[in-house]
Amino acid sequence: MKKPVLTLAMGLLAWQAQAQGTCATAVPIQLGNYYVTAIDGSQAPTTICTGDAVVGQHGRWYSYTADQDTSITITTDLPQNAGGDTRVHVYTGSCGNLVCQAGDDDSGSGYLSITTFVVEAGTTYIIAFDDRWNANGFTFSIQNAAPPPPVNGFIAQAVPITGSAYCIVDMNADGLDDAVSVSSTVININYQNAGGGFTNQQHTTTPADYLPSWSLCAGDLDGNGYNDLVYAGSGLTFMLANNDGTGYTELSHPQYIFCQRSNLVDINNDGLLDAFSCHDVQPNVYYINNGNGTWTWHQGGLGDQPDGGNYGSIWIDYNNDGNLDMFIAKCRGGNSPASIDELWRNNGDGTFTNVASAANGLADFQQSWSSAWADFDNDGDMDVMIGASSFSGGGHKLMRNDGTTFTNITAGSGFDLFNGTSIEFIARDFDNDGYVDVLGGGGLMHNNGDMTFTLTTVPCSNGPTGDVNNDGFVDVQNNNTVYLNAGNENNWVKVITQGTLSNKNGIGARVEVTTPAGTQIRDIVSGDGFRYMSTLTAMFGLGTQESITSITVRWPSGLVDVVNSPDINSTITIVENGTTTGVSSVPATALSLFPSPAHNTLHITGPRDLAGSRITILDATGKTVALVPAVQGAIDVESLMPGLYMLRIEGPSGTATGKFIKE
Amino acid sequence: MRPTDDPLFVFLLDQMNRKGPVLIAVGAVVAIFLGCRKDEALPPGGVEGGTPVSPVVLDLGSVPYPTLSQYHFFEGLMADLEPATGVLPYTPITPAFGDYAEKYRFVWMPAGQKASYVADGQALEFPEGAVLIKTAFYPKVLPTLERRILDTRLMIRKGGTWVFAEYVWNEEQTEAYLDMQGSNVPLTWADENGLPHDVAFRIPSEGECIACHSRYDERVPIGPKPQNLNTVRQYPEGPMNQLAKWVAAGYLESGYPAAIETVAAWDDPQESLERRVRAYLDMNCSHCHNEGGFCGYRPMRFSWSESADPAALGVCIPPDDPFAQGVDYIVHAGNANRSMLYYRLSSTEEAVRMPLLERTLRHEEAIQLVADWINSMPEPCP
Repeated sequence: MKKPVLTLAMGLLAWQAQAQGTCATAVPIQLGNYYVTAIDGSQAPTTICTGDAVVGQHGRWYSYTADQDTSITITTDLPQNAGGDTRVHVYTGSCGNLVCQAGDDDSGSGYLSITTFVVEAGTTYIIAFDDRWNANGFTFSIQNAAPPPPVNGFIAQAVPITGSAYCIVDMNADGLDDAVSVSSTVININYQNAGGGFTNQQHTTTPADYLPSWSLCAGDLDGNGYNDLVYAGSGLTFMLANNDGTGYTELSHPQYIFCQRSNLVDINNDGLLDAFSCHDVQPNVYYINNGNGTWTWHQGGLGDQPDGGNYGSIWIDYNNDGNLDMFIAKCRGGNSPASIDELWRNNGDGTFTNVASAANGLADFQQSWSSAWADFDNDGDMDVMIGASSFSGGGHKLMRNDGTTFTNITAGSGFDLFNGTSIEFIARDFDNDGYVDVLGGGGLMHNNGDMTFTLTTVPCSNGPTGDVNNDGFVDVQNNNTVYLNAGNENNWVKVITQGTLSNKNGIGARVEVTTPAGTQIRDIVSGDGFRYMSTLTAMFGLGTQESITSITVRWPSGLVDVVNSPDINSTITIVENGTTTGVSSVPATALSLFPSPAHNTLHITGPRDLAGSRITILDATGKTVALVPAVQGAIDVESLMPGLYMLRIEGPSGTATGKFIKE
Repeated sequence: MRPTDDPLFVFLLDQMNRKGPVLIAVGAVVAIFLGCRKDEALPPGGVEGGTPVSPVVLDLGSVPYPTLSQYHFFEGLMADLEPATGVLPYTPITPAFGDYAEKYRFVWMPAGQKASYVADGQALEFPEGAVLIKTAFYPKVLPTLERRILDTRLMIRKGGTWVFAEYVWNEEQTEAYLDMQGSNVPLTWADENGLPHDVAFRIPSEGECIACHSRYDERVPIGPKPQNLNTVRQYPEGPMNQLAKWVAAGYLESGYPAAIETVAAWDDPQESLERRVRAYLDMNCSHCHNEGGFCGYRPMRFSWSESADPAALGVCIPPDDPFAQGVDYIVHAGNANRSMLYYRLSSTEEAVRMPLLERTLRHEEAIQLVADWINSMPEPCP
């Protein structure tokens, strides 16, 4: 039942019909109901706060200034709008720089919209409706509301993005995951604040030859301590972070590639990250890192079907031999051999052999674009759920790893009854119960712990994942909405791997967490699922376990580090040096060493006070060579023999390492 | 494309107006030659006993040649694209869109060789040594507003399969060179109203060729199907049904069915919206979205012979991967905006646009056609 005052407000607004046509003329409104005659304003919102990025032709603009810290609901899901179709965007900022705070398309009944968001007293929120779907008139309501409750375990929060929001990874080397989106000339990073929330910063780049149309992956390609980005479109563009992570240099490779999944991985195990890309219509390709800022193009040896069919590559160690293998989820119509999945076993000598076969159940015509690898039964080896993108070539397949062979255990697992298809399937422990779940196909398949899975509803679809509020639970980003995992009582631990002999990120490392309940494993992967890049931090759920016996990292170099009795519910940074230790749970910070090669003096820079620090130089085998005093951030290295060294600083603010070469 | 819009036809008409009697005479001689050559072993080119012989040189052991000129498909200046004797032009009723580039298509076969009919909607069965020749160009390219030929794509029937040969024209327009690696040619072309349009014209790599030209893992032509050819085309000698012309030229076995289920012209306003859309989808999309095609695992069946069924077009069928928010059916009856088909035909984003290959620009007229068709559907999806 409408109150008279609102009717009055409606009349007033109708009189002002032409005033709502642009952001600059947005009409201030109070709480109440408002009638929009039609979406006919000349300015359509171009910053889209809903998933579908298509811009409408016209808009209607309003503004609301909050008078208290509370939450607000804007809804068109009203009886008088039955059959209607609306879309709404909510911003802060100025008309020249609108920043999404909320937005909704179809959360209401039918195609109507509802959005609830937190407001701060004194802040003005700009509200824009557009005619993406139609221009018809409707009524909307703006009311105070309870804080948005978690929906099926997730709380939605808007974040500003630019272009493709395909990446959650730590970009400023503070140990916290950041949310990255990119366009041709902008790298937009929502840096996670140590105390929660984000600081948004946009870095301008030269125009990328290729956009991450098909996928994006990240890692520290040049080993300078800051993660770089790889855009996979019709070729690969590298965006290389400078030595303090404040700017990016574009390097686009000339070769045409019909890219699909891309990965960063040290293919030849020389300690340098290489870039791999699936090729849709040709054999797969990769760029081997020469270590001097150049990369050498290769095609062949890692999936050589002449007409491709390569969609979802993922690099894991399936046979626990310490060498990183690659599985390719493949797809192609017409019972083509290009659709037969491949498992490339790393022979440890620089060669790979496809060991997928009809016998082990991996080589068939199932149409897949990605696969979710994890030790679903916690028996010490990587199992796989190969998700169907279409059921035309067969259904989802849950394959149990029995050491070197696989057994199809789909029947009765729940995946046999799951009718959602997708190009995206990823393995994460969303509820930290110690059993890895599968997200994809429009639902979350919860691992019951006995190799059966139960479909649960989640508000998000697939996107990049990580921990963007540092609470130890896996969050998911869908475009400009971050779905924060509301968490539960379960314990957890996060492990950041810092390679020294191995690549800087420790990509390809096997991380084992042992508790009294048993051992869980993760492989550090750059690029899983089909399109997105997710955190390089290994996230483990511990369930009700109150202690960790040990964490073991088996590095690509062959070194093994063991950390005994680390804290639960903390982030453990493990630096590769082949020792058994306890470590600080304070995240390591970035360290820059120059010049490298060094002759007499090595300079140390980084956000670090060296006073009270212990500085160690280790050789390439991880053996301590010297304990040295630092004088004004400089170290005398004249007496060292020529070679590769690691420098480690342990101090009140944690541990940091860097590599240098002595000439 | 209607015959009168065919640039080749316009060109030939223009030629006829200037030297019509000569061309007609040549045409008559060609007809005589084609009629009798079956029984003769003729050397390549030249005149044998007063009869012109096809100058085309095709040694199956050494094709593809490094340069296009080595085939002698064209008379005079190669850039004039005037077909040599035995090089027969053809035009699909509904041609494929390729970023608004125009195309000339020709077929050539060795002496005494003929194609044969298989089915209305299947490419003709071509003999060993047959060559399909397609050349793409923009009639007016800035700044000079002169014609710019970009590439000539050959499909050569060899060893029971097809060899793809991609020839990239030089800027001087004097020669085209074999290049299977693919490349982009950035240029600005002017439309018929003189408006400039930027394009990075994609010259495909071999892998891209195969992506479209394959079915059940075998390489296949797309255009020369009876359903696409069964219409009257203008020739220098006068109008004639294309299939009949192929028979007359000695390139097709006679005896194909009299009644052929023939596609509509996508831009023919006399045709229904549905038939025009189906024709467009058949030519531009059905090589992948077909049983045995590149994307045959998706539910759509866009070939002309199957698309009379609304379900084959995706009407009220949800997409396998509903990645675009609010776009809930492949074809949302009555609501183009909510239709994945319309969404992807409208997009220029690399991983969203359809077709994925051969298109970087919006085909505005086709997008409007599809919108009109979807929005005209009276029954909403359940």
